[in-house]
Amino acid sequence: MSRNAGSDVKAAYLFIAPAIIGFIVFVAYPLVRSFYLALTKYNGLVDPVFIGLGNFRRLFTVDPAFWPALRATAYLVLLYVPLSLVLGLALAMFCNQRFAGVRLVRTLAYLPVVLPAVATITLWKFILDPQVGLLNTVLDRLGLPTSLWLQSPQMSMPSVVLVMLWGVGGTMIIFLAALQSVPTELYEAARVDGAGPWSVFLRITMPLISPIMLLQVILQTTAALQTFNQPKILTNGGPGFSTNVLMLSIYKNGFPNLGQIPQLGYASAQVWVLFVIIIAVIALTAKFSSLWTYSDNTAD
Amino acid sequence: MKRIIGTTLAFAGLLTATACGGSDSGGDADGPVTVTVMTWESPETNAAIKKALEGFKDDKITVQLIDTPSGGYGDKLASLTQAKKLPDLFWCGNDTEQQYTSQGLLVDWSKRIADGDGDFKADKFVASAMENWKTADGQMGGLPSLMNTYGVWYNLDAFKAAGIPEPKAGWTWDDMYAAAGKLANKGGAKYGLVADQLTSADAPFTMSLYSVSAGGAPFTDNVNHPTKAEADDKYTEGVTKLAEAIKSGAVAPPGYDASNVPALFSGGKVPMMFGGQWLAAGFQTDKPKIKYGFAPFPHVTTPTTLYDSVGICTPQYTANEDSTYKVLQYLNTKVWDAVLPAAPVAPPAYTPAQESYFTALTKSDQTTVVDTVKADLAAEKTVGVRFTTQWSSQVGDLTTAMYQPILSGKKPVSDLQAYVGKINDLIKSQG
Amino acid sequence: MTTLRTEATALTGTEPPGPSQPTRAAAKKPRLVGTTAWYVVALFVCAVMIVPLLWMITIGLKSRTAVFDIPPKLLPHEWTWSNFIDGPKAIHFPRLLLNSVVITALSVLGGVMTAMMAGYALARLRFPGRKVWFYLFVGSMLLPGVVGLIPLFQLYKSIGWYDTWLPLIVPAFLGGNPLFIFLARQYFLAIPYSIDEAAKIDGAGHFRIFTSVMLPLTRPAWITMAILAFQASWNDFLNPLVYLYSSEKWPLSVGMASFISPFAGQTPNWSYYMATNLLYMLPPLIIFFAAQRYFIQGLGSLGSTTQK
Repeated sequence: MSRNAGSDVKAAYLFIAPAIIGFIVFVAYPLVRSFYLALTKYNGLVDPVFIGLGNFRRLFTVDPAFWPALRATAYLVLLYVPLSLVLGLALAMFCNQRFAGVRLVRTLAYLPVVLPAVATITLWKFILDPQVGLLNTVLDRLGLPTSLWLQSPQMSMPSVVLVMLWGVGGTMIIFLAALQSVPTELYEAARVDGAGPWSVFLRITMPLISPIMLLQVILQTTAALQTFNQPKILTNGGPGFSTNVLMLSIYKNGFPNLGQIPQLGYASAQVWVLFVIIIAVIALTAKFSSLWTYSDNTAD
Repeated sequence: MKRIIGTTLAFAGLLTATACGGSDSGGDADGPVTVTVMTWESPETNAAIKKALEGFKDDKITVQLIDTPSGGYGDKLASLTQAKKLPDLFWCGNDTEQQYTSQGLLVDWSKRIADGDGDFKADKFVASAMENWKTADGQMGGLPSLMNTYGVWYNLDAFKAAGIPEPKAGWTWDDMYAAAGKLANKGGAKYGLVADQLTSADAPFTMSLYSVSAGGAPFTDNVNHPTKAEADDKYTEGVTKLAEAIKSGAVAPPGYDASNVPALFSGGKVPMMFGGQWLAAGFQTDKPKIKYGFAPFPHVTTPTTLYDSVGICTPQYTANEDSTYKVLQYLNTKVWDAVLPAAPVAPPAYTPAQESYFTALTKSDQTTVVDTVKADLAAEKTVGVRFTTQWSSQVGDLTTAMYQPILSGKKPVSDLQAYVGKINDLIKSQG
Repeated sequence: MTTLRTEATALTGTEPPGPSQPTRAAAKKPRLVGTTAWYVVALFVCAVMIVPLLWMITIGLKSRTAVFDIPPKLLPHEWTWSNFIDGPKAIHFPRLLLNSVVITALSVLGGVMTAMMAGYALARLRFPGRKVWFYLFVGSMLLPGVVGLIPLFQLYKSIGWYDTWLPLIVPAFLGGNPLFIFLARQYFLAIPYSIDEAAKIDGAGHFRIFTSVMLPLTRPAWITMAILAFQASWNDFLNPLVYLYSSEKWPLSVGMASFISPFAGQTPNWSYYMATNLLYMLPPLIIFFAAQRYFIQGLGSLGSTTQK
């Protein structure tokens, strides 16, 4: 059967044309342009002025906000990613049991993911208010210690992470799908062999969902590195620099308060630093992934 | 499937086309002109302004008020500036006016207002406002419209209950801190005083109130064109007192979220708060549950107050300068008369228009506000609220990193000089 | 083949349906926890997820000043139902709702359409550069969105798209989301070529094959994409704020912001905000509940197609 290769190619390009155009305009162009801007001083009102590595020099040596921003970002990632993976997996395993009402729990757990971020984050800001918020009121009535939450330099980042974790339903759903595609014959066999639940988990469940786990580690880490909405709405970086993650710092430089001139070149330089960090993290994770993920030798 | 796509695209195209057709505030010099105005006021105040603008009668000029989410005014202004689509008249702070004018983005009204047209002349404006709205080379990209005067709002009921005399002109910083200490943790209040201006990004400038009043030097010699920053021993004394008050729990520390404080104040949960006179407008419609008053800032020896004014700016590419100036004049003179009685937000910078503001306040029984505002406008010494320079955004990070920790007690007061040094480096490098 | 299906189903964030695994009911995994313990935890989880929303409704029902009572009362004192009318009215809710619907509908249509087309080409058609383009698209997933913000704003400004809906809609029509392309390709790869061959024998051209055969087969894929695209567009706040300055063109997300304005010098009107918030959240909620069924239903057909 001879296939008309020519019409294949023509059709292919027709089908893929919009995506290609999109790639050039929305990926290639911004990449190149923002790299150029990172080497300039640019306030958006007059043309950019080339200053070479000046932005990067200022970033690493003079800027009082940069290193705290890196610290805050690292803190966020180290708190959030492990917790979201563990909680997501735990919830998924929890919802993978056969109890009446499990569908309801699963739906409710996913509910926060569906709602508009700006709305829910603002709601949480209100809940965490030390004086008029719900959380402290409930804690107080239960006789538990209260906190200043977002206004405490120590608890501000944990509070931000807490709000982010409210959306753990998204992670849960993905792990749930992974869990449910583990062939049940394996569990049967393990049961026959007399393996306990913990052993089953470590030797069967974990290895078989490890590809998804790897994907999740990468996705969650890159997302965490780019967190913006929560710190912006909840604390705007404060108190001090405790929640001033890199994305927020970039935004403040590029889109500062009323009456201040934007520093778009400087912000672009910071964007590139973040970009490099993301690539590095992904590369490292992928490189070491073969150590702990299980593949069943199926081709890519 | 094809038909659905087709109709959808057509519909979308139509809608987008209507969404595309933005209004062009053009028109040639002799034809009819539309002058666009953009404010940051609340929806209610905007409605009042719109109504007042209907009183502007001119055959050739139509005035159009543009909507903006007041919470996103800064973002909106930034976008419009970059897109070169600024409205003919837009609310702006002194800093925006200074920066934009020096970049050549705005018109220059200095000659027009100096020569004057009848009563609308420079000398009829509050002198300090006029001065501060001129750039280094005497240009003015906008005119001041309203003066912001600041002071201390206090809960009279709380003071009476604690047996402390109420704050009034002439009270000292020690009086204030002592009162804060007595009022903290009483009656549902946590802190005795919430002074956001003393603890947040503008904190170093506000502290000049203390040093200048004590006969010392302000934080910087000139907020518009600074040459140096300093913290003399009077200034350091002020910082020390504040740090102690924060440590004792009488004053809210840096990082305290002040966005809900006016409502908390109205509910009696914040006995004293630093704030602007504009809160009086809110209190007129939403009467607080408590008896309250507005006192000028405490002083050490000489009465000193913060200087700040907002105004209305015009981009350099405005279609018709004469028409725009006419509307500007109307805004600065007649519109406030119509708007302020319902919402007395601030005293106009144009002195003859101030009467309606004070009358409105007296009518709504806010006499302490009248007294304090008048005292502030007449104050002997004023200090600027913050730098208005191009590089002012870099000051905030330094303040967060070095000044605020001193207030919170994380760093010793002796570190103050290191902070001042860094500010001076910034001034020198950016000139 | 198992790996592919795992990845495919896992990536869509859905679960395989019951019917295609009839042995599941019998084979049971060992129970990890006792029954009461499970229900206690379940209750806790549900509470954590739902209580904030109930709190939001409570605030929406309170009067403007009652919101700041210390300590806050859990139930409103006066049931201010009027907030649900006055709040939306204050921001011209109907107009903004229409705007949001149009913008979102177009974004979803464009995003799903172009992603499915691109995924189809990458998976089933042979052409030079096929592998290269795939890696480029996947690689672009790593690009932080912020990289594009400044250059793209300048670009739109220079071509006159400022204060229009075009910056919000057109990117979707140009394969805006690489994740969707990746998903689409995964799904298309799982379909055996014999189906193509059969259709070709019947004389169908590429476009016919695509619309009449492929699309129905991949329903769970584009339903998932549609839901994700809907959420992304409905909830987008920063982009419309930056690109639109005429208030009649705003979507709901931006309109909501006018409740929380610090500039008016007064505390925001939280009760109006929360009341309107509830209405703003309803469409995504409704779509989510309605689409849940389609997930499961659609997956049944995927299961049977791969069981060859």
